[in-house]
Amino acid sequence: MAAVRADEIPVPRGRPRPVARLRTWLDRESVLGPVLVTPAMLLLVLLVAYPFVMALYFSLSNAFIGRPSHFIGIRNFVHLWDSDAFRQTFQNAFVFTGIAVAFKLVMGISLALLLNEQLWFKRMIRGAVLLPWVIPTALSTLGWWWMFNSLYSVVNWTGIALGVMDPPGPNWLGQKYYAMAAVVTVNVWRGLPFFAITILAALVAIPRELYEAAEADGANANARFWHITLPLLKPVLAVVVLFSTIFTFSDFNIVYILTHGGPINSTHLFATLSRMLGLEVGRIGEGAAVSLYLFPLLAFVVWAQLRFVRKQAY
Amino acid sequence: MPVARRPLMKRVLIHLGLLPFLIFALFPFYHMTLTSLKKDRELYDRHAVPLIIRQGPTLEHYSKLLWETEFLTWTKNSLMVTILATGISVVIGTVAAYALARLRFVGVSSFGTGIFVTYLVPTSLLFLPLAQVVNWLGLADSKWALILTYPTFLVPFCTWLLMGYFRTVPKEVEECAMVDGATRIQALWRIVLPIAIPGLVCAVLFAFTLSWNEFIYALTFTSSSEQLTASVGVTSELIRGDIYFWGSLMAGAILGSVPIVILYVFFLDYYVSGLTAGAIK
Amino acid sequence: MGSVNRREFLTATGAGLAGILAAGVPPARGQQREISYLCWNNFAPNSDKKLAEIGQRFTKDTGIKLKIDHISHMGPQQNKYASEVQTQAGHDMVEMRMHFPWLYEPQLVDVSDVVAELEKKYGKALSSSYEGAHVNGVWRAVPQYHGMFVATYREDLFKKASLKVPDTWEELYVVGKELKKMGNPVGIPISQNYDSISTAGPVLWSFGGMEVDKDGKTVRINSPATVQTIEWYKKMFRDCMEPEVLSWSDASNNESIQQGKAGWIHNPVSAYIVAKQRKLVTADGINHHRSLGGPHGRHETDTPRHIGIWKFSKNIEASKEWIRYLLGKRETYDEYIMAGDAFNLPVYEKLQDHPVLRTDPKYAALRGEGVQYHTYGWPAPASDKVQLITNSYILPNMIAKAVTGTSTKDSIAWAETEMKKILAG
Repeated sequence: MAAVRADEIPVPRGRPRPVARLRTWLDRESVLGPVLVTPAMLLLVLLVAYPFVMALYFSLSNAFIGRPSHFIGIRNFVHLWDSDAFRQTFQNAFVFTGIAVAFKLVMGISLALLLNEQLWFKRMIRGAVLLPWVIPTALSTLGWWWMFNSLYSVVNWTGIALGVMDPPGPNWLGQKYYAMAAVVTVNVWRGLPFFAITILAALVAIPRELYEAAEADGANANARFWHITLPLLKPVLAVVVLFSTIFTFSDFNIVYILTHGGPINSTHLFATLSRMLGLEVGRIGEGAAVSLYLFPLLAFVVWAQLRFVRKQAY
Repeated sequence: MPVARRPLMKRVLIHLGLLPFLIFALFPFYHMTLTSLKKDRELYDRHAVPLIIRQGPTLEHYSKLLWETEFLTWTKNSLMVTILATGISVVIGTVAAYALARLRFVGVSSFGTGIFVTYLVPTSLLFLPLAQVVNWLGLADSKWALILTYPTFLVPFCTWLLMGYFRTVPKEVEECAMVDGATRIQALWRIVLPIAIPGLVCAVLFAFTLSWNEFIYALTFTSSSEQLTASVGVTSELIRGDIYFWGSLMAGAILGSVPIVILYVFFLDYYVSGLTAGAIK
Repeated sequence: MGSVNRREFLTATGAGLAGILAAGVPPARGQQREISYLCWNNFAPNSDKKLAEIGQRFTKDTGIKLKIDHISHMGPQQNKYASEVQTQAGHDMVEMRMHFPWLYEPQLVDVSDVVAELEKKYGKALSSSYEGAHVNGVWRAVPQYHGMFVATYREDLFKKASLKVPDTWEELYVVGKELKKMGNPVGIPISQNYDSISTAGPVLWSFGGMEVDKDGKTVRINSPATVQTIEWYKKMFRDCMEPEVLSWSDASNNESIQQGKAGWIHNPVSAYIVAKQRKLVTADGINHHRSLGGPHGRHETDTPRHIGIWKFSKNIEASKEWIRYLLGKRETYDEYIMAGDAFNLPVYEKLQDHPVLRTDPKYAALRGEGVQYHTYGWPAPASDKVQLITNSYILPNMIAKAVTGTSTKDSIAWAETEMKKILAG
């Protein structure tokens, strides 16, 4: 049956012609498409693209709260490198992201493999595993803040009780490397479910026959994992890692609540330093410049995603 | 060993292997709840055992939170912001997703890429300039600023999620409808959407969760006690100077998560399938 | 806030008030005036309740509607001032603390007239209020009250070991050694927080030192007084304190003394008050003594709070009326202070020996006889560069370096370089 074009449908009499014309006009793909996409585009242009340009403008000026601003070129970007705090932040961002994503990846794959098996209470277990990701990060980080408290830390109490720590146990949030360990732990705790469940979905999609054939050929569990599972997981792993890198690199909540960037800037990330400089000190220009250092990584991830992964998407 | 037993051993081992993960995931919640129910005297006693309550539970932290702070107002604000932002975003996202998944028109792939890219622009990059925009619009220190800005990250996400679902609706269904005289819009409304309801539910759930979870915009665009959302209120107003009200902080963290947990318990499968859908792309 | 006959709003309730109101404010016929005041969540919750009460009486007496909003002193507060300034809209009055009037000088109304009246009644405002609110020759905010640091110690332990209550930083070292041997070390944080700066400052000032000079431009950290300060901290760290102080937060010293560990801390009265409220075992043993002095006087950190009026306000005169109502009448001011349970103390000379200090014998030391109060960065005027020096924690970082192995000379040189960089940039 031949498809009938929308504008060939007879218009019933008595209907006002403009409305009918509008409807048929709207029915064309080339018109309806842009119309339906417009609200989204408008929103994103006005509230994402435009502010992004503004951030660029701020970073190139000496904007300060409540005072007129002047263009100063790239002085902010250069000046930042003189600052101890910024150099530390730059290092922190990569250390934090690198370690956290690595942990999430390895633990995520392990957890997904376990979840893929036949389980009792499957639904409850999956629910429990996903819980940290669902609960608002700011609120769950409060719980971790208490858990790492210098005097009352339950982590220390448990460590001492089990004999793995000497009393009184480290001051997690007050000492350089321990603080980084603490924020990484919370980030991994919060992000692991995302990795695990997503990888699990991909695991489920791997046809059993592949494994059965390999087993028949004499491959043991180890070999099956490295030669079948991992290669087939690669596309999903790439997506998840790239997404996670962006969100971990630009994280704000955890560091802000747990350490506020301390001790001595050893846990500051671009987001928290940007807020401190921009809103607490008042130097909006410098704050914007700090946040724009996120951009290169963002651009790289977007490029990587678009090039390697978006084959099926659009 | 009898064949029937080996799988059992293996199963037990697998569950044992899961145990550390489960403890890791759930312990913080257990501890938070416990702390919120402990009496101050036991809470601030360094020699007490933090894993159990010995001196009897108390509801004083909860009552302090509910009656002596503006917690109920903050929760109301969170609900209002989240419901409105979710509603707006799902509507905008649905129509955009349909267009991008189904229709051919000039620039469809650029629009698609554009929406995808915006999702990756972090809120921590945009919050400073957006603060200015919000000020210009006269929405400074107001939850309306949040209702306006949350869709910027909810819409791309919903669009992307729903595109996947729309693609699973067979084209023939729509074409049949159009042959029968329906316009595209009618086809969308009457045929495609009902089929995509699981996807819509998913989008609503995720939008709700992401919105409830949002922190940096809320922290920046609202300041007065009565405009704050739950997360910001609990994290800033239960600390006065150098006095931390830990019991109430934990109580606030628990109660502030309640709406999400309720949704989660009822719609767990949708959450899982939503994340799953992301993986299969 | 009941309805008031608009023609009667000029009814005054006190001599001073009547005189001020009659000074030419035209009756706002057919218009009910409304003003708004943004203030902080007070450490003493009763103080907020009392403020609301006084506000309602104000409306009844003057017919001016008053809306009081509260804000947390943490995150939200910073954006609030910023956004009100940027949008040139918001509250009429804002509560400011310490040097904020310097940051927002161009936006604040000149309130020298109100302050002059208050000073005539109550004596001069304390040095720290003057430093914080008197900007470039003009009062930009009206001093209200302050919370100050004071020595908080375990009186019971001192008595048990027959230790002398110290009066100078040197004497603290002597008792500190004994305290550490008893297992109750001194607790002074040396980390990136305000408590650290709040102790390092007074010690430095008491030895005659300073970070930046009165002119606000010359860095003076490289001086013998700084050397003395660092040497003092080094021996304190070695003999009287434990290494954990290097990672303390603002609440850590409170918690340490409340928990029975620390024998002596430097803190506002919050540590004691909270111990009392939570009925902790240590509450009875905690007491305060006068701030310590040194060869160059007795200096102490405090956190004064003032009320400022934004220039963009359309109700400047009405706002001044509110301030005069709250602070101008002795009875009302006293009521307000009493509700603060010694967290907030008046900042005018003649009011220093306030009845609130007698509500608990342990507040006696808060009278601060002979103590000079300053805010961070004294004696340099609190320009934003000087404030950035404070907010970058250069002083505590310098001390932290010195007590953990860097030589005194190098630590001071580092601090000098950092401060010069900030002043130049």
